[in-house]
Amino acid sequence: MMEALPAVMPAASSRARRQVWSVGGGKGGIGKSLLTAALGVQLARVGRKVVLVDADLGGANLHTCLGLAGPPLTLGDFICRRVERIEDVLVETGVPGLRLISGSADFLGAANIKYAQKVRVLNRIRALDVDIILMDLGAGTSFNIIDFFLISDVGILTVVPEPTSIENGYRFIKSALYRKLRGAAPTEAVRSIVDSALDPKNPLGIRTPLDLLAAVEREDPSSVAILKQQMAAFHPRFVVNQVRDPSDVAIGHQLVTACSRHLGVKATYAGYVPFDDAVWRCVRQRRLFASAVPDSPAAQKVRELARGLMQGESLALTW
Amino acid sequence: MVAVLTGNHYEVLGIDARATPEQVEKAYRFCLEMYGDSSVALYSLLDPEEQRRARSRVQEAYEVLRDPFRRHEYDVSQGFARPGGPMSVLPRPASGPVPVRTPPPPPPRPPAPQVLEGPVDGAALRRFREQRGINLKDIAARTKIGVRYLEYIEADRHAQLPAAVYLRGFLLEYARATGLEPLRTAEAYMSRIRRPKDD
Repeated sequence: MMEALPAVMPAASSRARRQVWSVGGGKGGIGKSLLTAALGVQLARVGRKVVLVDADLGGANLHTCLGLAGPPLTLGDFICRRVERIEDVLVETGVPGLRLISGSADFLGAANIKYAQKVRVLNRIRALDVDIILMDLGAGTSFNIIDFFLISDVGILTVVPEPTSIENGYRFIKSALYRKLRGAAPTEAVRSIVDSALDPKNPLGIRTPLDLLAAVEREDPSSVAILKQQMAAFHPRFVVNQVRDPSDVAIGHQLVTACSRHLGVKATYAGYVPFDDAVWRCVRQRRLFASAVPDSPAAQKVRELARGLMQGESLALTW
Repeated sequence: MVAVLTGNHYEVLGIDARATPEQVEKAYRFCLEMYGDSSVALYSLLDPEEQRRARSRVQEAYEVLRDPFRRHEYDVSQGFARPGGPMSVLPRPASGPVPVRTPPPPPPRPPAPQVLEGPVDGAALRRFREQRGINLKDIAARTKIGVRYLEYIEADRHAQLPAAVYLRGFLLEYARATGLEPLRTAEAYMSRIRRPKDD
């Protein structure tokens, strides 16, 4: 059953309140949780009321990134209605303006939450006194993860400059987009074309969303406009993490170019974060680099990233 | 098959038709790196063969756009510029753009399309083409005319060539690709052919 999605709110206006941002990336170990925590700290520092949500169900560790012990109550308790109010699972982080809803360590990993439940969770979180809800999505492309990404106003896609991460990044984009298109498919025929696209060896030879549009065009031309509209509204923002040299920085621009040319997806390049020894030294001390070493190169770039995301700006190719 | 790179030369390099030579150069380097063998950003999106084809499209676009004369000719053919109108980029006197992992720059070209003097036959076309350092494969890639037909044109093997209406089109394309004045070249070549089926 499809419920109405929460309306997307325009950025940089008085209605820019209560935005949902999510940080995904497909691959584990690329720094999503640290990035989410650092962004949260930075947003709170510039006066936003932020709620961090650890939606990495099954592998939650956002609390550890923030130097906190695992809280007794988690998002899982709310989803399973063991507690009634979302406030019951909300904890202070010690950073003014920054609160956390922790994920559970071992509870929901395998369970598939129904779409309606996800919407309920988000609606309850949105009802809090909050400006930005920042979700850490776990690794992978399960529906739990993708649905939160699709419901977000700002979907951040983290990659590191390595083939494995890039591969998972593209997979994430395709999975998310196909799920979005499937939900919007006006006819059974179109839906079944979208379904077959999910199989990499599909007989229609669909490898990319552009192929998918071409296949729909052949079968049911009247539906193409709807799918194109959905594609135009799909707007992942790349963050390249653990950047070591200028050619790594360029990868973000190349990803955006490749998405546009070869997938028909209008992505943008939100920014990059350098590889920085200060980050892992802090991790081992269970402190967050953004708070502990604010003048480290990584922390500085996170500040730029946060500012760009708030203002809806991205890095553009200039030549 | 993923649509590798479609569109005109400007779209292939991701620039607009008013791009400066510096912008052409930077866009070219960006695309070379992006579609290069060691590119990380395309991993799993394109296979090596698709990547190779993309590179050759980028190279093709660059070869035309880096050369003010060829670029102007191209702009005219695409309707970006008027024939005889102002060129979007003025040729540079001496230094020229810095070559990056490319074959040596072709010899400087005269501004207007050339008209061959003397009889316009296959041998004359071939001489002209070779002087310009253009090979048949380049022309084939650009015009989509098979190398075999280009060879027949240059060898004056008229019996192997298609009907006049098609041949004329081939000749126009051939002339544009080599920097010859298209109409006069095609007419001159056609006028020498006498084939029963065309009479």
